Amino acid sequence: MRIDVDALKCIGCMACEMACGYHRDDAFALLASCIVVYRAREKKDYFGVVVKEEESLMIARPEGLEIRRIGVAEEASDSGPKKEADASAKPMLLREPCDLCSDMKYGPMCVKICPVNAISLLEGGE
Amino acid sequence: MLIVDLETGETSEDGLDDDLVSQKIGGAGITSSLYETYKDRDPIILGAGLLTGTLFPASALSVISARSPRAGYLTHSPFTLKAGMELKYTGFDYVVILGKSEKPVFLWLHDGVADIQDASGLWGKDVWNTTDLLRKSMGDDLIQTLVIGPAGEDGSDLAQVCVNYWSSGDCWGFGKVFGEKNLKAVALRGMGLLEISDPEEFVDQCFEILEAIKGSAIEGKRGVEDILTAMGESDAREWLSPVVHRHSACYNTPYPTNTFIYLNEDPTTLTEPAEPEPGFMITDIGAVLALKKMGFSAVDAGHILRACARRGMDPVPVAEIIGKSGQKDPKTIEQSLVGLQGSVAVPDGANFSSWVPQQPMFGDFGLSGEGSFKDWWMRRQAVAYIFGIHPIFANMSPELSEEVILEMANKGTGLGLSQETLDQVIADVCSF
Repeated sequence: MRIDVDALKCIGCMACEMACGYHRDDAFALLASCIVVYRAREKKDYFGVVVKEEESLMIARPEGLEIRRIGVAEEASDSGPKKEADASAKPMLLREPCDLCSDMKYGPMCVKICPVNAISLLEGGE
Repeated sequence: MLIVDLETGETSEDGLDDDLVSQKIGGAGITSSLYETYKDRDPIILGAGLLTGTLFPASALSVISARSPRAGYLTHSPFTLKAGMELKYTGFDYVVILGKSEKPVFLWLHDGVADIQDASGLWGKDVWNTTDLLRKSMGDDLIQTLVIGPAGEDGSDLAQVCVNYWSSGDCWGFGKVFGEKNLKAVALRGMGLLEISDPEEFVDQCFEILEAIKGSAIEGKRGVEDILTAMGESDAREWLSPVVHRHSACYNTPYPTNTFIYLNEDPTTLTEPAEPEPGFMITDIGAVLALKKMGFSAVDAGHILRACARRGMDPVPVAEIIGKSGQKDPKTIEQSLVGLQGSVAVPDGANFSSWVPQQPMFGDFGLSGEGSFKDWWMRRQAVAYIFGIHPIFANMSPELSEEVILEMANKGTGLGLSQETLDQVIADVCSF
């Protein structure tokens, strides 16, 4: 099972980020969240959601989903070697990977708190 | 609580007294009290609501409280987006800014640290350039800013404090107050942590309230278009949707009150546009409504609103002046903003920003008709400004009743606040 995000439904409210932070810290805080609203392109209205998984980042962009291995911006290919990720991606490396809130009675907090149902739980293999 | 003395350039901190919170609760309740304490120094007070920054739905709001140059008495403006909650996470629930700086400065609040910094390199820059420079110089695109533009620096009565790049709820001319103090901006960033008295009960009930909201009259509605439609503009969607890119919400607010329109980019673009400034985020319903009624296209209205935000001008009185002039060309209007002055009429006894439509939207609050809206609106805004609830969303959601809000405030703080205390604080805030 894993978290899935429909970035086009997302309204960028950060409730998921705070709920995940609560799961991590038993208080309201954002630093430890493994789901983060990407909002650094404010003037362009380009925003999405990033989820830290065990060995990858699930990047829900408005144009579609991207799974990226941590620390790699592009995979090595015939056209050249793999490139390192942006510096802005590095703080995600400090965060714990998503554990689907396995110890919480609510199940994944981000799924439950999203006011527009942009986040869902996918069964394995989906 | 932070005290900032712009005259001496010094800052000092005081703990937030439990008694003050028990008596005045939070947000405008406490900023009003602090204003009385410091009024001889003509203070600007920033204050977070009691619930701001929690998981309580729509807990997005902080306030700016100051003597309005338009009204002549203490008034309050909301600031939301992500700036309202960021104030709380800087570690400073209340910031009292006193006196006037000799030279242009900005206040940098971050993780319990308060710095008054030289703003000579920012003075003269417009709102957009200022926010860009602040974020670049500190290497963090997520810094939230309260900024004035040239209008505030020039002492215009039309000046507004903007949030990041966008128009805000400041309809009181606080941009002029910032300018008179040589205060160019307040920059906010915090990775703080907020502890809750009864976290499991609090969070359980947040989820219950959210489920009620999700099944309510706001379901399926989004953005400025649906708000305008609810206000009687039946062609709002037809007018605006050809340029709508996306809708977005302030922190933890279930309804996205902000609508981004693309002015020089295809609005159906989903990838990151190469154009660095493809459009504008509409945050001011009254302003866009005024321009629509004047017959401007959505594109032209967007250009005018963007020009106002860049200069740090309140778009509602600007729209009124444009209407009287009869000018229809956005480029000419944009040029005329330089040095534009005008007086702004203030309704008698108003203390809360008219940024919020003066009627319920979507939800049924059991009101009998327009005649009962005024008192309802005042009380509803007072509650929003005290507890830190998005004031537009407060007028959409009867699910956020005073009873529920008080119950949650008590679960969060353990203070045992009563309805009597809340009634008194509302009366105090509304009577200034």
